[in-house]
Amino acid sequence: MIRFDAPSEEALLLKDTAMRFIADNYGLEKRAAMLAKPADAVPAHWTEMAELGWLAAPLPEACGGLGLSPTDVLPLLEVLGAGLILEPVSPAILGCAATIAAALPAETAADLLEAMLAGERIEVLATGGASATAPAVTATWTSGSWTLSGKAPMVVGGAAADIVWAVARVDDALGLFRVPADAVALTGFRLFDGQTAATVDFDGVSCTEDQLFPMDDTALVRGTEMALLARLAEALGLIEALYRTTLDYVKLREQFGRPIGAFQSVQHRMADMFIHCEEVRSMVQLAAEAMDGAPADLRRQVHAATWVKLVDNGRAVLRDAVQLHGGMGMTDELIVGHMVKRLLMLIQSGGSREDWLSAAAPSLHNSREAEALHA
Amino acid sequence: MTDLLVAPEDMAFREEIRDFVATHLEPETRRKVSLGMPLQREDFLTWQRSLHAKGWVAPAWPAEHGGPGWTARQRLIADEEFFRLHTPPLPGFGFKMIGPILMRFGTPAQQARFLPRILSGEDWWCQGFSEPGAGSDLASLRTRAVRVDGGWKVNGTKTWTTYAQYANWIFCLVRTDPEVKKQRGISMMLIDMASPGLTRRPIRLMDGTEEVNEIFLEDVFVPDDLVVGEVNQGWTYAKALLEHERLGIGGIGRSKHLLGRLEEMATASGRGDDPTIRKRLTEIGIDIMAVESTTMRLLAASERGTQLGAETSLLKIRGTEIQQALTELALEIAGADALPDRESGQGQAPFEAVVFQFLNWRKLSIYGGSNEIQRSILARQVLGL
Repeated sequence: MIRFDAPSEEALLLKDTAMRFIADNYGLEKRAAMLAKPADAVPAHWTEMAELGWLAAPLPEACGGLGLSPTDVLPLLEVLGAGLILEPVSPAILGCAATIAAALPAETAADLLEAMLAGERIEVLATGGASATAPAVTATWTSGSWTLSGKAPMVVGGAAADIVWAVARVDDALGLFRVPADAVALTGFRLFDGQTAATVDFDGVSCTEDQLFPMDDTALVRGTEMALLARLAEALGLIEALYRTTLDYVKLREQFGRPIGAFQSVQHRMADMFIHCEEVRSMVQLAAEAMDGAPADLRRQVHAATWVKLVDNGRAVLRDAVQLHGGMGMTDELIVGHMVKRLLMLIQSGGSREDWLSAAAPSLHNSREAEALHA
Repeated sequence: MTDLLVAPEDMAFREEIRDFVATHLEPETRRKVSLGMPLQREDFLTWQRSLHAKGWVAPAWPAEHGGPGWTARQRLIADEEFFRLHTPPLPGFGFKMIGPILMRFGTPAQQARFLPRILSGEDWWCQGFSEPGAGSDLASLRTRAVRVDGGWKVNGTKTWTTYAQYANWIFCLVRTDPEVKKQRGISMMLIDMASPGLTRRPIRLMDGTEEVNEIFLEDVFVPDDLVVGEVNQGWTYAKALLEHERLGIGGIGRSKHLLGRLEEMATASGRGDDPTIRKRLTEIGIDIMAVESTTMRLLAASERGTQLGAETSLLKIRGTEIQQALTELALEIAGADALPDRESGQGQAPFEAVVFQFLNWRKLSIYGGSNEIQRSILARQVLGL
């Protein structure tokens, strides 16, 4: 049952701390300096982020986390998205650590994740294939060790990784290999929004028995969904930040002797931007609550519907944010352009809208509703 | 989706609604509603009397005035179920407009006289706000009331008066002081439709119906005890309506009802598996989900004590855009099957009323404050522009 409850005190506290940290450390100039470094440089604030509890927040307490519910992680992730951080919090924590936490016994997961949660390491998950359950990496057992083959072309956050966890096909099952980054051919690069990623080539990498951990589909699904939720939350934060920044701008920018926000065409466009934000907020909250409150098939459909809404409304908001800022919206000097690129990156990272649309379709024919319609 | 948003404790409530509709709704009325055909006075009133006997006719009214004492959440559930089960949507002029105004601003005598008759259906109210020269700019209205012994003499023209042909009372905004700022000199008056000097001209719409009218007032006498609240405060009272029960204006039930009908139409036309049609149905389904989850989120906020303001305008804007998109998709599905006139008897089920509904539902983005006005309200009151 989804209730749209308000976030907990703990969630709001994390959010407030995050807002202050971003304001102090992520001004455009400071961020530009970070971007000037090579992609595989250790990101500036990873350790501090660990100390602030951001890395532990979404993970279960038994695994060394703070045990926040998916709904309660939203406010923090919104701030991190809007704050344009360059540290791979979402891929490392909600993508990688959440999968490990779901796949392994709590004690094992706690041991393995300890160094990352302390901010000493960055670990990422390489899935890579056409779908999460059809991974790009395959493992074969030859003369006392595992040999990996395959290439993960787009491991977001992986440029400065210390450990790469490979989701691999092992015979007819899935397995999780824990591979030190120096054992693979890892090429770091930047995405168009400045975040880092890596191509990871596993061909010929040899692993011992104790580097392999069993994993079932459910754990992979949980990790994939947490990572999706993280991207949805970051995108929501960006959409709202673009709306607020644009609203401030149209109140200040004067043309024809008055603020451009006094013109009806601008007002109506801003009203639409507000509507787009509110819709995405509702859907993302719905998607978060569905994580623990809905059966798997319905959850998938809600997530897919939310992604479609994000694509549609997110594109509309980023278009209008640039348009209403005029030429200034196109420069590198205002935060708007940077936000637009991050939002566009998140939207693109989901792949084809058509696929999400197909995945969302069955939710509209849920049997209960159909029964009522034909009653 | 719906099931996700209904608490276990509300499931029983929903079942109760379903059972009631199953036993009380006339099959012929259900058929007309399900096809989107126009309804007659008796279609509405028969259903109203069933609801009244059950105590459910005015969901938003407080129990002391005869409401069922439902929570806001239950009202939304009931609203959706009623739509989905093809019950006639009762016009809100009594329940949602003049009723709540009288509860808040009327005299005890006015409340005792009118409220019970709204519930029972003995009185059918219509609304006299718009005028030929005053639509979106309602405050520029020119119907004039001048003081006479024991009351007021009213002259002017009202228009777009929905179902005036069924109504025996009309609540009107009239100008009682032309000297002050335009919003300040307006009063609200209750006028008997049988008053001497009041005449009605039906307005035939492009969809073939006559659901709206012009009302002419020539020296119509209104006694003092039929003025609502204080003289010259009518604008304030009309605006107060905006704060009343606005969570339902997204029309989730109405949209889902039509989405379900389009599924049937797509199947009937042999295009149930057409990927283009399926894609549009899914997109609109997602749009409905966004309005529904926004409604539930705002509801949850209001249950926590947040005062909802003009942000509910977004529900009206998106809800009506969705409904109009649905009528357009119905045209797309029906194609040339939509050609026969609704009255010709040659229409093919389930497409008989597709064009009618497309034309008729143009009204959704015009009435109740056009969507342009709603966007201006959002810009001014929520965005501070």
